[in-house]
Amino acid sequence: MIKTKAWTTSLVAVLSLSMLLSACGGNNNNNTEPSPAGTTPAGTESPSASPSEATGGALADALAGKFKGTKVTMFGPFVDADQVQFEEAIKDFEQKSGIDIAYEGSKEFEATINVRVNGGNAPDIADFPQPGLLANIAKSGKVIDISTILDQATLKKKYNQSWLDMATMDGSNGKIMAGIWARSSVKSLVWYNKKEFEAAGYTVPKTWDELLALTDQIVKDGDPAWAIGIESGAATGWPATDWVEDIMLRTTSPENYDKWVKGELPFTDPIVKNAVQKMSEIWLKEGAVYGGQKSIVSTAFGDSPKVLFDNPPKAWLHRQASFITSFFPEGLKTGEDYDWFPLPSIDPQYGTPALVAGDIYAMFNDRPEVRAVMEFFTTGESIKTWIQSGGVIAPMNDADPSWYSTDVERRMAEFVQNATAIRFDGSDLMPGAVGAGTFWKGMTDYVSGTVNLDKAMEEIQAGWQK
Amino acid sequence: MRRKHSRRNGSKALVNTILAVICLIWLIPTLGLFVSSFRPASEILGSGWWTVAPHRENVTKDQIQLPKDTDLSQPIQVEDQTFSDEQLRSGVKASDGSTLVWENRRARLINVQEPGWVANTTFTLDNYEGVLTGKTYKLKQPDGSERTEKGSNMSRAFLNTVVVSIPATVIPILIASFAAYAFAWLKFPLRKTLFVVVIMLLVVPLQVALIPVSNDFASLGLNGNFLGTWIAHAGFGLPLATYFMYSYISQLPKDLFESAYMDGATNFTIFTRLILPLAVPSIASISIFQFLWVWNDYLVSLIFLGGQEDVQVLSMRIANMVGSRGDAWHLLTAAAFVSMLMPLAVFFGLQRYFVRGLLGGSVKG
Repeated sequence: MIKTKAWTTSLVAVLSLSMLLSACGGNNNNNTEPSPAGTTPAGTESPSASPSEATGGALADALAGKFKGTKVTMFGPFVDADQVQFEEAIKDFEQKSGIDIAYEGSKEFEATINVRVNGGNAPDIADFPQPGLLANIAKSGKVIDISTILDQATLKKKYNQSWLDMATMDGSNGKIMAGIWARSSVKSLVWYNKKEFEAAGYTVPKTWDELLALTDQIVKDGDPAWAIGIESGAATGWPATDWVEDIMLRTTSPENYDKWVKGELPFTDPIVKNAVQKMSEIWLKEGAVYGGQKSIVSTAFGDSPKVLFDNPPKAWLHRQASFITSFFPEGLKTGEDYDWFPLPSIDPQYGTPALVAGDIYAMFNDRPEVRAVMEFFTTGESIKTWIQSGGVIAPMNDADPSWYSTDVERRMAEFVQNATAIRFDGSDLMPGAVGAGTFWKGMTDYVSGTVNLDKAMEEIQAGWQK
Repeated sequence: MRRKHSRRNGSKALVNTILAVICLIWLIPTLGLFVSSFRPASEILGSGWWTVAPHRENVTKDQIQLPKDTDLSQPIQVEDQTFSDEQLRSGVKASDGSTLVWENRRARLINVQEPGWVANTTFTLDNYEGVLTGKTYKLKQPDGSERTEKGSNMSRAFLNTVVVSIPATVIPILIASFAAYAFAWLKFPLRKTLFVVVIMLLVVPLQVALIPVSNDFASLGLNGNFLGTWIAHAGFGLPLATYFMYSYISQLPKDLFESAYMDGATNFTIFTRLILPLAVPSIASISIFQFLWVWNDYLVSLIFLGGQEDVQVLSMRIANMVGSRGDAWHLLTAAAFVSMLMPLAVFFGLQRYFVRGLLGGSVKG
């Protein structure tokens, strides 16, 4: 029986120890419920207020230390290195205002945010990389309308109209401004190994035909021209959708693109088919892609550009968004070892549009300190150090071009500003069943050769009926 | 008699062999993961983990430089033979038995290869270092200089997981043992009905309860702290634990309780003095199940505990370690083994209780 006693004692000891530990660790993470202070008069700013007065709202109060000791919770999909960058960027604000911005990152953000919001456990602010996902939640009326808390005139000054339009979504009753744009990235970039590219005597193509000629030239010189991989676990196929979107913008009008994203222009339409055929001119060309057509589907998107930097390079060109540099081998110098050019224009009348992606911040709990933090996020200052470290483009107008630490990044910002049209990544705007479903799957099937073009487009279009 | 005996021996050997083969097949992925966890990321991409063992492979002995203007679309003259470009890409046997393959097609350089013994033996501890001590991040300063920042290590997440796992194992099993005793040996109204309800709960997937439970937790203020997670884990674990304990406790011999009862023991005394010691093997086995489940759990922690640094559990920490776009995937190999240590320790620690049956001889005389 002594044994039993010892067993019980140790059990009690373990239990009490862990409870003690948890009491030390978990006492300050339970204040996410909206406080009754949600009805402060800050929302009643008259629209006639001058911009200087308007900016002197919650943010000025915060910087004056009025919300010292409060906590604002944030939830988003970026983790690890990006989280370090983010925390670095907001450190200064946190010190000045005394507001603690508690960011929580999860790789399963997309799957979790609905449960959190519906389960009454919404964060104060959530970071959505897919506006389509936010639009779904906005319909339920749980998202706070930004236009009621931030001055419209100031927002108009801070963002280009196209960004504000993209933030306007259907609320539970009427249109609302569902969030503010905090970061963006450019997708229409073709990366190349600058040193080798110049040593081989190639020149940056200005038109689609020149691009095809360059492809042929590289193939003739003995290498596959393109490094393409679309494997990405459950999301396999998404890089292919980016290509189609980019080519759509270059072969048809922005209005048609918008219709396509809304589902009014079906995938089976000749316009969309034409775009996929243009893509096939490179993707399905014999010998043009490293590893051949079959390996596109099985190569991880992040691993595919690595062959550009083999010695000698095994492939020469890679189209991917600005973030791909984090997958490049370590020790490469921006602008010396690699560089980019915009995916060239196909039809001169549509110029060289920019396909962009971005993160929109939505607000779920209305408290004065949350308003202050949201207002802070509309300033370029809120991502200044992140811009300096590279990898993001500021959607706000007040971000100084001199913040970009390299020419490569600065040119991206300029490219977006001067682009003939800016459009958001279409698959992120389409409903999940298409944009994160049949579009990925259909393109994968088409590229792997299991279905032909007509069949693939029908397959994708079927997603709209779901 | 003797023939029968040897036949049984033979079939036993057969069964053992089959089991050994199944075990081996089962272990191969783990072995591969283990080997990969010591290899640099570029090596993992370049060759399979099995190439660390000595094996026969074509080794480059010599190189042939063709004239730079060789036309690749025509048959290619290599020394005294001609090959097509296609053959040289996939490797072709020359007349002297060596294999010819492009080294650098652009530079028209051909490798002459012969089979030889090789082993890839580039090993590194970097993966483990990145996992255990935290990753290093480079941050550019406004003046253009670079500052490195060390990410947090795993100790906090490890501690959090211990804090979550131990109560989340002890609480449901304690309750389940009480309940199982009551279901098995006590007489009270609706006993059968209640037991059927518990069995029915076994088939309810926990996912359907996430939003309602989260709603209730939100009004009680339990979201995002350990207490809520313990309750959630206890609730989700109880049906199985109760059923498991019931099936063991109900098999205990009735005489035992009768004699204890005759000696004047109360139900509580019977439970603590008789049932608990006797049920140690089954408590140990359900503890292992429940502990492993909680230790490896991602979903429940994700919903009820969240990922703030002060409460983040190991599984979430590891998932986040690969980066927003998965660029540090190679760390997963090492992280898997680090997170495996604790469950292994628990398993081997409790394993002896499986074998030791306390019941032997308890009702004699």
